[in-house]
Amino acid sequence: MKMLITLAWRNLWRNKKRSLITISSVLFAVLLAIIFDSLERGSYERMIDSMVKYSTGYIQIQDVLYEDEPSIDNSLLFDQEVENLLEAHAGQIDYYVPRIQNFALAATEDLTRGTFVMGIDPEFESKLNDLRDDLLEGGFLTPNDQDILLANGLAEIMGVGVGDSLVLLGQGFQGSTAAGIYRVKGIVNLRVPEMSNNTIYMSLPAAQWFYMADNRLTALIVMPSNPKHTNALARDLRAGIDQEWYAVLTWEQMLKDLLALMKFDMAGSMVMMGILYIVITFGLFGTILTMMIERQREFGMLISLGMKRSRLAIMVFLESFFLPLLLAWSTLCLCRYTNAYMSWECSWRWV
Amino acid sequence: MTIIKTEKLTKVYDDNSLPVRALNKVDLEFEPGEFTAIVGPSGSGKTTFLNMIGGLDKPTEGKIIIDGTEISKLSDSKLIDFRLHNIGFVFQAYNLLPVLTAKENVSFIMLLQKTDPKKMEARAMELLKQVGLEDKVDVRPSKLSGGQQQRVAVARALASKPKFILADEPTANLDTESAFNLLDIMARLNKEENVTLIFSTHDQRVIERARRVVTLVDGAVAKDERR
Ligand SMILES: Nc1ncnc2c1ncn2[C@@H]1O[C@H](COP(=O)(O)OP(=O)(O)O)[C@@H](O)[C@H]1O
Ligand SMILES: [Mg+2]
Repeated sequence: MKMLITLAWRNLWRNKKRSLITISSVLFAVLLAIIFDSLERGSYERMIDSMVKYSTGYIQIQDVLYEDEPSIDNSLLFDQEVENLLEAHAGQIDYYVPRIQNFALAATEDLTRGTFVMGIDPEFESKLNDLRDDLLEGGFLTPNDQDILLANGLAEIMGVGVGDSLVLLGQGFQGSTAAGIYRVKGIVNLRVPEMSNNTIYMSLPAAQWFYMADNRLTALIVMPSNPKHTNALARDLRAGIDQEWYAVLTWEQMLKDLLALMKFDMAGSMVMMGILYIVITFGLFGTILTMMIERQREFGMLISLGMKRSRLAIMVFLESFFLPLLLAWSTLCLCRYTNAYMSWECSWRWV
Repeated sequence: MTIIKTEKLTKVYDDNSLPVRALNKVDLEFEPGEFTAIVGPSGSGKTTFLNMIGGLDKPTEGKIIIDGTEISKLSDSKLIDFRLHNIGFVFQAYNLLPVLTAKENVSFIMLLQKTDPKKMEARAMELLKQVGLEDKVDVRPSKLSGGQQQRVAVARALASKPKFILADEPTANLDTESAFNLLDIMARLNKEENVTLIFSTHDQRVIERARRVVTLVDGAVAKDERR
């Protein structure tokens, strides 16, 4: 048996050039596939990550009607019942982030644009998504601030800078008119492109006053102590609250369209990968087959000498086994290094 | 005592439209210790004859009896085993495994016979010494001359301790000097070790070395002389 292994191993290197070409071409193909796959997954993960941080949070408590009809009229009263609920699960909750948000028109002297006015608690919002660090110029909101922050894309479109004023006009709670003139205190760099062109931040009290929605929230974001227990916490919260009035949603539920799209996209890539691997397999099979055909005389000689066919078969099997094995091993090494390198590169660049 | 005996050995190749009678009722007997040359022009049936008595192909008619066993009646897998333990082969070309050294090529056949590995090494060295290649034991065939390769093949044929050795045109690809050298080694092994050897050739130069010459013409024995 040892002899057969030696023989198989040496036969593999008999045609060094061919073996090396086979190995390197397979490695190259696999490397490409893996890089693309990692990039795709990586960019999706980043996208989900920023969506969760800037938009949905891990868990939201909303009014039960808000999901289907996201209007200020379907906002949630931050009352004793909600506070009791949060109190009851304090051990599982790290902190919570209140938000009130609605659409409003923003106008300068010569430009009007639809925007998304978000009332936030500056402290907790920053805790969730480091918004404070994204400040490009000017100052950050204080808890009772009467001024506003603009996303950089919107500021550019409107042509306004720090110190300029904007007129905001929208609909408040239960049909009231929301109107006011606000000074731009700072510009923030929002990392979600879809939000950068339309988002305005206000302090929570200012926004509640603007929308005439005292003590109301469109969403209460709950940050679990351990993000891995998101679903468990959501389940517990649901159990502790009247579900006729309140909805408890996880980020997976809120982003389900996006996630479905990504899954679909990934499935497409999987099919491509599958095809690639089939091509590789056939290539490999071809190489092995040529190796065998070239050596029919040798096999004939071995059988003439008295080598049993079964032993010959073992030898051939070992040989055709070594090449893919070698390949699998070298690919594994390669993947570890590229992925380690890429994640190092990425963390270095993105953080 | 007879070691190989053929009775009315006939082989007809009829896979083509025109059947070829390669051997026609050949009756021959070989004694242990004989050194025989099978000669004849190309196409006279030398290879066919050696393949028959070597158990590499089956006769159309007639019998082959080796040391009391009628090998034409053995099954394919029994025949492979029979070859391994009874017959040594030296082919015209493609004799050796290119990835093994001279010593490993010689040991290989003993491995197939499941010889004790400790004895194997010593015996391989001993045999390579007998064919004058003690300084080439760790060299691969591609680094050996044609004559040296054939000598390794002879050493390997001896390694399995066969009842006889068959060599089909062993000198066909060799220059004159190497051809004589190989035949000298074979003659010496025959004389000193009493090895039974049968080789085919159409090369007049090397026929003299044999002690018996069987001439085939059109698949039949035309002459059988002992010296
Ligand atoms: N496998 C085969 N199929 C058909 N005909 C064959 C085959 N092998 C040999 N022959 C024919 O049998 C005859 C004897 O061939 P062979 O034994 O090879 O002669 P030699 O070795 O003396 O040159 C030739 O006419 C040859 O063409
Ligand atoms: Mg021939």
